[in-house]
Amino acid sequence: MRWRVLVAAALVACGALTGLLAHALSRVGNNQGYAPEQPIAFSHKLHAGDARVPCLYCHFGATTSRHAGIPPVNVCMNCHGLLKKQTRDIERLKELVERAQPIAWVKVHNLPDFVYFNHSQHVISGVECQSCHGRVETMVRVTQQAPLTMGWCIQCHRSHQTVDAHTPAANLDCGKCHY
Amino acid sequence: MSSSLTFWSGRDEVDASRRDFLTRVGFAVAASALTGCSRGVVQKAIPYLNKPEEITPGVAAWYATTCAGCAAGCALLVKTRDGRPIKIEGNDESRLFGGTCATGQASVLSLYDAERLKGPLWKGEPATWAEVDAQIEQRLGAVIAGGHAIVLLTGTISSPSTRALIAEWTARVPRFRHVVYDAVSSSALMRATEACFGIRAVPHYRFDLAATIVGIEADFLGTWISPVEFTRQYARGRRPDPRTMSRHYQFEAGVSLTGSNADWRVAVPASLQGAVALALLHRIAATAGVAVDVPPDLEAGIDARALTAAADDLWRHRGASLVVSGSQDMATQVVVYAINALLDNVGVTVDVESPSLQKQGDDEAVAQLVDEMNRGDVHALMLYGVNPLYDYPDTARFARGLESVALTISFADRLDETAARVHAVCPDHHFLEAWNDAEPVASSFSLSQPTIAPMLDTRAAQDSLLKWLAKENDFYSYIRDYWRHNVFPLQSTFAPFDAFWDRALHDGVFDARTAREVSARRDRSKPAARFVELWKSAADTVAGQHERGSVARAAGRYEAHLFETVALRDGRHANNPWLQELPDPVTKITWGNCVALSPAVARDLHVSSGDVVRVMAGHDTFELPAYLQAGQAARTVSIALGYGRERAGKVGGRVGTNAFALVTADLGVRRYFREGIVLEKTGRHEALATTQEHHSMEGRPIVKTTSLADLAIEPPAPSEMPSLWAEREGGEHRWGLVIDLNSCTGCSACVTACQAENNVPVVGRDEVLRGREMHWLRIDAYTTDSEEHPETVVQPMMCQHCENAPCESVCPVLATVHSSDGLNQQIYNRCVGTRYCENNCPYKVRRFNWFEYAQNDRFDFNMNNPVGRMVLNPDVVVRSRGVMEKCSMCVQRVQAGKLLARQEDRAPADGDIKTACQQVCPAEAIVFGDLNDPRSRAATMRRSGRYYRVLDELGTKPNVGYLTKVRNRTTSEPG
Repeated sequence: MRWRVLVAAALVACGALTGLLAHALSRVGNNQGYAPEQPIAFSHKLHAGDARVPCLYCHFGATTSRHAGIPPVNVCMNCHGLLKKQTRDIERLKELVERAQPIAWVKVHNLPDFVYFNHSQHVISGVECQSCHGRVETMVRVTQQAPLTMGWCIQCHRSHQTVDAHTPAANLDCGKCHY
Repeated sequence: MSSSLTFWSGRDEVDASRRDFLTRVGFAVAASALTGCSRGVVQKAIPYLNKPEEITPGVAAWYATTCAGCAAGCALLVKTRDGRPIKIEGNDESRLFGGTCATGQASVLSLYDAERLKGPLWKGEPATWAEVDAQIEQRLGAVIAGGHAIVLLTGTISSPSTRALIAEWTARVPRFRHVVYDAVSSSALMRATEACFGIRAVPHYRFDLAATIVGIEADFLGTWISPVEFTRQYARGRRPDPRTMSRHYQFEAGVSLTGSNADWRVAVPASLQGAVALALLHRIAATAGVAVDVPPDLEAGIDARALTAAADDLWRHRGASLVVSGSQDMATQVVVYAINALLDNVGVTVDVESPSLQKQGDDEAVAQLVDEMNRGDVHALMLYGVNPLYDYPDTARFARGLESVALTISFADRLDETAARVHAVCPDHHFLEAWNDAEPVASSFSLSQPTIAPMLDTRAAQDSLLKWLAKENDFYSYIRDYWRHNVFPLQSTFAPFDAFWDRALHDGVFDARTAREVSARRDRSKPAARFVELWKSAADTVAGQHERGSVARAAGRYEAHLFETVALRDGRHANNPWLQELPDPVTKITWGNCVALSPAVARDLHVSSGDVVRVMAGHDTFELPAYLQAGQAARTVSIALGYGRERAGKVGGRVGTNAFALVTADLGVRRYFREGIVLEKTGRHEALATTQEHHSMEGRPIVKTTSLADLAIEPPAPSEMPSLWAEREGGEHRWGLVIDLNSCTGCSACVTACQAENNVPVVGRDEVLRGREMHWLRIDAYTTDSEEHPETVVQPMMCQHCENAPCESVCPVLATVHSSDGLNQQIYNRCVGTRYCENNCPYKVRRFNWFEYAQNDRFDFNMNNPVGRMVLNPDVVVRSRGVMEKCSMCVQRVQAGKLLARQEDRAPADGDIKTACQQVCPAEAIVFGDLNDPRSRAATMRRSGRYYRVLDELGTKPNVGYLTKVRNRTTSEPG
């Protein structure tokens, strides 16, 4: 009977492996929870949370462009050129400015090349930053809160089909995002 | 499959053993199981250090400038993203221009040519500007001290500031002179204007004010002088209103773009241009009561009925007619002036008081220069915007002359044929990187500003000239000074100069011609008193030439006619892959030139299309593949110039055959036809890379044509076929296109615009031979069967965005679906490459990516190097191998237009959204609009009686429609 035990064990092993494979494959492209280390340890909790700096002060592109944009260093220096209190990271920031070296931030929210996402379309339709990015004002290090998969986008689009006179229905045509 | 096709073999064969396959599969499974633990490639986001205020990443910035693709100087608006230009449009602020030609569209790509020189060269070796300047200044000083001649040889320059700078050189440097050299010249026309009116210039023509147009060997819609402007003017006159529609006669040897649009085209050898002009003069003068003696056999070989009809029409519309000629015979041009003067056209359609500055080449001066160079009398020569060691008829003689010049300097942007043989190469900026100005028509100014900081270590040619003249300023301040003193006083709207300058820079153009000059009628220019005797003696000269020519014509040889193509022009853009792959509007041939023969000649020689023919003229021999051209004048062959470049670069080198040696010179004046040609079949065959081989509509109403007389008759209403499909639920908008076939000339600017806007790849000659060109938009040319009088109609064909699309129903993965606003969408990431959709499309507008066209050494064009990729439009995906693509009706522009309207809290207005093809069209033939909005232009055109859809009987219900082409002729007249 030993071979029956072996067959059963093999079947269980295959099942487990398939399950693992399926799980892994379903997570392809899903970077939920991604929280990379950044070249400068910028804390949104400090700036957007405690200091109450509005999102659009730094990410001004969000209303007019497809990219919300990581702010150029001159925006940082608007305040940090004047403030007295200096930390090690602010010193590093100033050093980079003096050496005229732009900062290479690690992009947290990435969409594949075949997706076209336009921030301004969503922002002027009244979608809050937190809807997709989570409560960034509580994050010390930016973490991707949402799966950013197509299914997740569609779920929101489907629930916004009837809106007011000023805001058009969220479009469900394939070619709106894939062109 | 022809065995003459060479298959590219650069890749190693993939290992095909079973063991390796299993190993790889095993690895792939294991790898994918691990993906849950690892991310894709880490992406970086690098913002500006100090962001310029006017740039928002992701939002385009537009700058007005002036095109330098040819000397016409069309006004442009350039779209820049992230500090680099990616798309060129016409500038609607201009009263002259609007839209661009194919060459202008493609010139954005020549900025990103990785083969541009990266810095100056001294004797072939890279040097710094300081070193080159030192060498040049020292040698120039020696030449000046020795009292020797210094010559600046340039192409046509309409820039008033540059001309002022050259005038300063002339004034301050002894024995300095400026010679203007056009590879394809209009010097005879300039001389004729000088003789008749005292002004040495090409006149400014107004085709929009002409009810009758006669062109004699002048491709004014394609390449002659100012084709964008002329196309816009011409199209305005082609609206099919019986009271205003123009009538166009064309007398020419080869079939040109202009000739294929004419109401009545007459095939006439180029050597008979003078005879045609004289015959018209004879008739018109007779009606005007003036006697002109002509030889009895003047009209032999020319259709007399056409001459009579043209003369009658011209006379009937005197004061609103126009005769133009591209002849390089001064006497012929004087005869043409006589015709226009007798018809009271001078001052209306022919403006000599505000002439054009778009052609200034002086053939006699160039010939004299070459003589002087060969005698050793020229000690310094600067070459700016010219390449005579390629396009001068006797390059060997020019080269010998060049050897005797002590100091030779070229401002070329690459090591071209001429720059390879000079001492110093001081590469000029590309026009998109430079400050400049232009004056295409006298008193109509435009500015050029940089749209990107110079990418390489180049320097503006004018800056070099300023430096060597020991002047302190740079050309930017020089232009400002010139405008402050010469242009600013011409207006009174702005008081401070800076306000005027800012406005001019914003608009790109400043037209100082008064409203009186620009609008229709004004005082006729009084021709010089000598004019009357002058044209009589010119008529005698032409008659005499004709009699002498009759003997040569009887000898039984052929005549070669030379012309510029719409894409490559005089060959300066040979390294531009978009232009090399642009199908010629008439022949649809890409990547090379041919010798166009009439079918009768082909039968005599026993050749068919593609057979290589030897063309012998004196000591010169050329071998080119033949192309059977219906409508080609008897015993004439046509060969395109601009090919056979030796040193254009990787793309353009050795493509086609250089025919410039066939250009003849008569006392220095260059003529673009050669008599006494012998043709011989070689027996070899070279397939022509053509995109359309079959030119018959097979009896189907693909392009509907009618005559002006028949237009009044109501066409039968198209019967609505019953459909198996349910009516599609529409959305708020329904986007559609309407294309007016009366306006479309077939110039193919839209094809290049679409390629630039949508990142359409270049595939190369081999793939075009397999029918795999990737153009989303093509211009189909259909010709009737007649050998003698073929009638050509053209039709831009792109995805018809059918409501009942045959492609949508057959895609197994639903990669092509219909949007709620009427567009047929192609979803690249879903497509698996079944190609069933391509098969099912009746219009054959779908293109398949057979290979990875980007970053692939096999397709070493602009997408294979990081510099060339800078031209890509970031709003449009670059497709990979295995997916289908097609016209998306510029969905990215639709989205952008809708977004802009939403940002301004309003509905998108008609005209907000323009497809790329629409925006560039000089003839304004394509109209995009919301078919659901009854007031939009597109919806209005749709209700016109001329509206029809192609292959309607298939029940596809396309959203793209066409307006029937209306020709201005009676049915009894041939084409």
